Formats: sequence, C-alpha cells, structure tokens
Amino acid sequence: MLKFIGRRLLQMAFLFVLFLTILFFLLQAQPGDISSQFVGNPEIPPEAKEILRERLGLNESLWGQYTTFIINFFKLDFGVSFTEYPREVSDILLSRLPRTVVLFLTATLLAYWMGFATGKLVAWRRNTKLEHVVTVTGIFLYTVFYPWFAIMMLWIFAANLGWFPVGKFITPSVWNNAPFEANQVFNRMIVVAVLFALFVGVVWYLTRRIGDLDRRKWLRRGIAAGGLVVVAFYWMGSDMRTYAADIAHHTVLPVVTLALVFFAQITLLTRSSMLETLREDYILTARAKGIPERVVRDRHAARNALLPVTTSFVLALAAVIGGGIVTESIFSWPGIGLALLNAVLVEDIPLAIGGLALIGLLSLVGHLIVDILYTFLDPRIRYS
Amino acid sequence: MTSPSASADTLLGTDNILEVDDLTMYYKTRGGYVKAVEDITFDLGKQTALGLVGESGCGKTSVAMSLMGLLPGNAEINKGSIRLDGDELVGLTREELRERRWRDIAMVFQGAMNAWNPVYTVGDQIREAIRYHWEPAPSVEVANARIAELFELVGLAPAMLERYPHEFSGGMRQRAVIAMALSCDPKLIIADEPTTALDVIVQEQILKELKKIQDDLGMAIIYISHDIAVIAEVTEQIGIMYAGRLVELGPTPEVFADPRHPYGLLLLRSTPSIKGPRRKLAPLVGEPADLVNPPPGCRFHPRCPLAEERCAQETPVMEEVSPGHQVACFYWERTAELDIEGV
Repeated sequence: MLKFIGRRLLQMAFLFVLFLTILFFLLQAQPGDISSQFVGNPEIPPEAKEILRERLGLNESLWGQYTTFIINFFKLDFGVSFTEYPREVSDILLSRLPRTVVLFLTATLLAYWMGFATGKLVAWRRNTKLEHVVTVTGIFLYTVFYPWFAIMMLWIFAANLGWFPVGKFITPSVWNNAPFEANQVFNRMIVVAVLFALFVGVVWYLTRRIGDLDRRKWLRRGIAAGGLVVVAFYWMGSDMRTYAADIAHHTVLPVVTLALVFFAQITLLTRSSMLETLREDYILTARAKGIPERVVRDRHAARNALLPVTTSFVLALAAVIGGGIVTESIFSWPGIGLALLNAVLVEDIPLAIGGLALIGLLSLVGHLIVDILYTFLDPRIRYS
Repeated sequence: MTSPSASADTLLGTDNILEVDDLTMYYKTRGGYVKAVEDITFDLGKQTALGLVGESGCGKTSVAMSLMGLLPGNAEINKGSIRLDGDELVGLTREELRERRWRDIAMVFQGAMNAWNPVYTVGDQIREAIRYHWEPAPSVEVANARIAELFELVGLAPAMLERYPHEFSGGMRQRAVIAMALSCDPKLIIADEPTTALDVIVQEQILKELKKIQDDLGMAIIYISHDIAVIAEVTEQIGIMYAGRLVELGPTPEVFADPRHPYGLLLLRSTPSIKGPRRKLAPLVGEPADLVNPPPGCRFHPRCPLAEERCAQETPVMEEVSPGHQVACFYWERTAELDIEGV
C-alpha cells in the first residue's frame, strides 16, 4: 500500500509538471497581454505600456519566461499578481482558499450524503409515485442550465423572499468597526466545524461494534445532537457570534445551489447503480437468509451500489470545480474561482496559473484519496 | 404444534416434514397471468430427499421460491397449502415468513460465485444469518466456533472464514454455501441447481458431501435440477415437472429405470448414459409451453408423440401406476412403446 502511494505520488508530480507546462503555454496563447487593458485609454502612452511589459518580464522570450516560471514554482515562489501588484499570488490564493474549500466541501458532502440516501430509497421503492417525482426532479436539476438556475435561486430566495443576502461574503454594514477580520471569524468557524466532524467520526468509530442496530443508531444520533448543542452554546458565548452568523447567512444560498445540482447527479447515479445491484444473486441470498429487508437494502444492496458512486466522485470533481467558478461569480463569492475568472479576463497570468495549479493539485489529490478509499470499500481491489 | 391439523397428522402417524397440497401460483404481468405453478401436490418424509426435474422455465424454481416465501410482489399463491412440520406457511405475513426462512428452510444456491456478496468475508455473511435466527443472538466468538465446525464438516479449513468470496475457488464457495445453509439447523434444505456451475469432479464431491451431511444431521432435502442423472443418486423420490405441473412422481430407481410419463421418458432419453446400452439420443422436439396461454388439456400434448384428441380437451390427473408412483397421463400404459421407437 505504501509502495503504491509512493509510486502514485511520483506519477502525480510528473503529471503536475506536465499540467503546469500546458497551462503556461495555453494562457500565453491568448492574444495580447495585461497591457492590452490600456489600449483604449489615450492617457497611457505606448511608452508606459512598454515600461509595464518590461517590468513584468513580458518582453523576455517565451522559453525564458517558462523556465523562470517553473524554477520559481518549485522554489514555492508563485510570483506577483499583475492586477494587485505587488501582492504575492500565494497570499491572494491562501486568503481565498478556505472560502472555496468550504463552499465545495460542504456542497459535495451534503450532495453525496443526501443524494445517496435518496437514490437508495428511490431504487428500493421502484415504480412508486416517490420514484417518479424524484427522478423527474433529478433529471430537471441535472440538465438545467446551471447559471440560469443559480440566478433563479438568487431571484427567488434573495431578491423576492429576502431570506438570504444577494451574494457576497459579508454584509459591510454589520462589519463596520468590527473588532475582527472576516477571515479570522471564518477560520474560527472552520476549526469548530472540523472539531465537530472529528468528534462525530470518533463516536461513529467507537460505536461500530454495537450489535443492536437500533440502539447504535439512536446512541449515535443522541451524542451527535449533544455535540451540536455544545457547539451552539460555544457560539452564543462567543463575541464573534454576530459576525459568524452574518457569514453563515451568506454561505447558505451558494452552498445549497451548488449542492442541489450535484445532489441530483448523485441521486440518479445511485438509483441506477442500486437497481443494478438489486438484480444480483447475492441480494436473493441475503433475502433467503431471512434477514430484515432494511438490512438487505443497506448492508447488501446500497453497500455495493456505493462503489460506482465513489468512482463518479473523481469524474464529478471537475464538474464541481467548473460549477464552483460559476457559483462564485454569480454569488460574488470571493473565492478562488472568482479570482481566477478575473485573472483570466485581464490576463493576470501569474494569478491565473496559480489558481489553476491549485485546482489541478486539488483534483490530483482527490484522485489519490478516491483510489485509497477504494481499497477499503472493495476488498477485491489490492494495489501492489 | 398445537394446530388441529398437526395433531391429526400425529394421530395418523405421518412422518412428513413437508406437505404440499394443490399449490397454484401465478405471476401477474402486463401480458396476463403467467401460470408458473399449478396443482402441485407432494409429500416429503423426514430425512428424505426429493428431486424436482424439468426443463428451464417449467416452474421448479417457482416452487422453491413459494416454499421459501421469497416470491416477488407480482406473484400470488391462488390456492393450495404448504405445511412444514405441521405448520401452514401459505397466508403468513412477510415478517413471519422472514423469521422462518433459513431457520426452518435454508437454501443452497447455484452460481457459486454470485451467491456471495463480494464486499464481506464469508464468515461475516454466515454470521449474519446466525445473528438473526439464533435465540438469543450469540457473540461473534460463539458464532465463529460454530462456523468453524461447519467448515470442517463440508471440508473447508476453518481459517477460511475470514476470507473474502473472491479468494475461494468455485467448489470451495459451494461448500461454504452449504455450510451457510446448515448454520441455523434447518428442517429442510432446498438445493437449487447446487452443482450446475461446477466441473464434473467437483459436482460429484459436493453431492456426496451433501448426502453424507444429510445422513449425519437428518434434514430433508429438495434437489432442483434440469439434469435427472445428477440427482438420481442422492434422492429417494423424483418429481418431473412440465410447464408448471407435476407430471410424474415416484421412487427414484423406478422413475429412472421405467418412466411412465412420455415427457419423463423423453427427458431421460435426451441424455446419454455411460453405463447402459448405446442408443440414439432422442431429442425432445418443439418449444416449451407458453405459460401465459398454456395449451388446453394436458400441457404436454403439442409435443407428445402419444397425444390423442382427448389430451387437448381434458387435463389428466395424477393416478397411481404402482405403489408410490404417480403419473398424470391418460395413456401412460403406452409410454413403453415410445422407448422402443426412440432407439
């Protein structure tokens, strides 16, 4: 296993350099450069543009630029943003990374969890009204033109109903003279959430041997609910609470919108995967054994239906990232996606490469995680 | 054991573990009712073995599924009764059937590979059956000790119980299936094509193993197979099914040597015999009957060389041709002529 991970890491490093190279030349293949921004501006003379190009190193040969870029990249020097000059690219990305990760991760986990549960249930109750409603809704959400859908969500829930703010990360009026920075509060929220997730994970692990399934279920739910109460008390006692609440309020709509579309995909996939496993002989064996139907559904059918759904995660990763960029721009969510979009539009090459490289790295890591996860999910798979 | 029928049976001194009376089961489909099982009647003595044979789609497995209470939602038992050890099974709720399944009737499946869930160890899957049927549910250690015993009984190393199904060979998987079937001490085991996916040598071993286990533990077994030769050696009785009906039922040696139903004869003659005299194989001509619109009268008459006008109008009932040997054919006395013609 360790040998496998080592080999995969080596492969990943090679792939990553290849990816960076392609990125670099693709971005350079765009016509013009950052100075084209000022073409229409008569107050900036051509000489000024020339000086700009000289200072940003854009006059060097392509090969020279490339080698400088790669060498610096591996010295962990990702360069300086052209548009926010002289701010470091790594600084911009790092400050935006948590927001993007939270948006993606919450939406993905939510979508997987709900989608798997729904798909499982719907396949189990084949040819009922429930199945028809869920399938049609799922197909609608899966095939809808996503930007339109996101705007509709904003229009309905933010503009008309006013339940949620219209985009952005914080409400400026709330944060006037605030004693904290938004990132400080946000990081605290993340830490609390991660601690809570760890707590739930530990509880799940420790209770795994309880044979009585009903007792185990209620014990787990009870402890998790207790943990939630503790978290709630923590925030009520914290002086960050108004600010945290403001951020949370802004988070809901983009997360739900992104999750809904992804949820539909997982539901449909789980449904078809489950319908396939339900036809397997071992389902008949399980039924013949006289174990409760619920156990046949969850332990035998759904457990095997999970395998292709996990594989789809890798394929979905790219879609979530694409959807993430659209989400961030429509909801003015100041994450990496939005920074990337702006950087590409104005040819801020260091920032664009930095953002894309980060996304590439995340998806490579995602692949590795799924491959490792697979050995736990399917005993037939062993890497050697 | 307090139901009136049970006490009556005890008075009469029945030694039957299973009594199936007039069992009729249809599947409801868009094209109409599929008359999969009709008027099946047979008794099975304690510690005896019965073989059900017939072509694919003749209703063998549907009978097995009715006995197991494992029918899909579109199936209905229209009439008849199934009494297991005196208790009526027809009309029980799904939950009652579930509790009895494996505890009273277990099953040995065909398809050694696919009967096992690939993501759990074999021991885990057997423990699952034990957990829901032993009273009270035993600890993992106790269950494992029992499984290890059973593994030895069927000729598997006890250490194999923590292995995954894909680490087993075909024959080993089938042995493990038998061990699983024995895990809750059932009164009856239904072996549905227990050796079909295996090679001839392993087939032989598995059948002998099953026979020996039956002699040692004393449960009843129903073998289901399309191959009459496979089960001839291990059963006391053979029932031949055609298109959802039982057409011949009798002691194995007699049915095997001297089948009285034309279909039984043709089915037997369609397989070569190694020991007997060399003869031309007589293929069964025609298609199996359509069970949605079965032929009127005797369902076999369109394919039967002995068919007369009467066969298309009246349905023959089982009649005893010798002690314990029943045949549903008007012209069973002429079946022997067919044998000579077929040479």
